[in-house]
Amino acid sequence: MTFTIFNGSPRYKKSNSQTLTEQFLKGYHNQGKTEPVKICYLARASQLAEHLEAFRQAEEVIIIFPLYTDCMPGMVKEFLELLPAAGNKNPKKLGFIVQSGFPEAIHSVYVERYLEKYARRRHYHYLGTVIKGGVESIRSMPPSMNKKLFKQFRELGDNFARTGQLPRELMQQMRTPLKMNAVGRTVFRVISLLGLPDMYWKKMLKKHGAYHLRSSRPYAP
Amino acid sequence: MIITILDGSMQGSSGEMIAFVEKAEARLQPKHTVRCFHLQNLNIRHCNGCWDCWWKTPGLCAIKDDMESIYPVVMQSDLLVFASPLMAGFTSSVLKRASDRLIPLIHPYVILNQGECHHKKRYDKYPDFALILEREPDTDDEDIAIVKDIYRRFALNFHCSLKHTWLTHMHSPQDIAHDIHHF
Ligand SMILES: Cc1cc2nc3c(=O)[nH]c(=O)nc-3n(C[C@H](O)[C@H](O)[C@H](O)COP(=O)(O)O)c2cc1C
Repeated sequence: MTFTIFNGSPRYKKSNSQTLTEQFLKGYHNQGKTEPVKICYLARASQLAEHLEAFRQAEEVIIIFPLYTDCMPGMVKEFLELLPAAGNKNPKKLGFIVQSGFPEAIHSVYVERYLEKYARRRHYHYLGTVIKGGVESIRSMPPSMNKKLFKQFRELGDNFARTGQLPRELMQQMRTPLKMNAVGRTVFRVISLLGLPDMYWKKMLKKHGAYHLRSSRPYAP
Repeated sequence: MIITILDGSMQGSSGEMIAFVEKAEARLQPKHTVRCFHLQNLNIRHCNGCWDCWWKTPGLCAIKDDMESIYPVVMQSDLLVFASPLMAGFTSSVLKRASDRLIPLIHPYVILNQGECHHKKRYDKYPDFALILEREPDTDDEDIAIVKDIYRRFALNFHCSLKHTWLTHMHSPQDIAHDIHHF
């Protein structure tokens, strides 16, 4: 089976999508799969023809991308527009991983409906969509805080190598919470009073000497 | 009312949308002020996820291209219309690319809105959203519902709401003018 991963992050190799792909592949290769897995970066627009050829040749495809305004980034949409419909003989397997900044899965379930419909429209064999929220924070967290997340991605890869499927139960666990419950919301309000949810942004604003400009309105009418 | 139309027509689409949008523009003026951007003729690059617009030059995108002329016009508007042929079941990639670039208009800080995490407003007021969609041969009701739902979510991120959806095979430019006059 030729397995190809398409990374749809505009951040190229410095992306969370890359970090999560590496974990996925660790799990995948654990299972004794030795063939190299091709990774195509959609951010390398000049390689579009190669990307389309890699897609044509692949039997198993996973497209991983960051959620952009509750949808896919423009460059992922561009790629989806160009993919050919599957032939009858070999319906390619196509799955997606959508990862987002906000922690709740609710932000990603709308684009999931699109992705599922897209796979049907193009006659691919749809593997499902992995949804994982709260991912932007992995950049600022100490490695110990990312342990659970990385393990989940290794498990996804491990399962995929063994079964050729994305494991439903694990995917279900990963997409929680769908929305915050009352307790979650209360906790959020309390930590907001302490300014905790914005700590990372404040730190980075200060680092760039722009804290005093944080609420600038350059286009106020 | 001030209305801005982002036309996402692109190579490979029928061109019907351009004519439709121009007719709508003619119907709406002079009562309303209408600005239309045909995105395929402009130089608009992909957002690269750098966050400069949030932590280095707050409110300003690091990429200097034709988006610079779109931002102030959007912020002066009462209604922002996303006009697009459907392509592979969604609005065009040219339109999505420009939409991604609207992120400098909001603030990085996180608040709860409708019980969900969202970003804080940067400005007091944002334009409401509307959609003009041109269907593909295989478009069905499910596709239209998916697109509308995703734009409702997009509106929630931008502290506004999706006010109208017009379909070029069902509505005329006159219908648009009528709906907007009675907005
Ligand atoms: C233009 C833009 C729009 C975004 N929109 C959303 C969004 O609607 N919801 C969300 O939870 N995260 C959003 N994010 C955050 C990214 O999904 C998140 O940071 C992701 O982990 C980035 O992954 P990457 O490093 O692979 O690009 C957005 C980021 C950018 C740059």
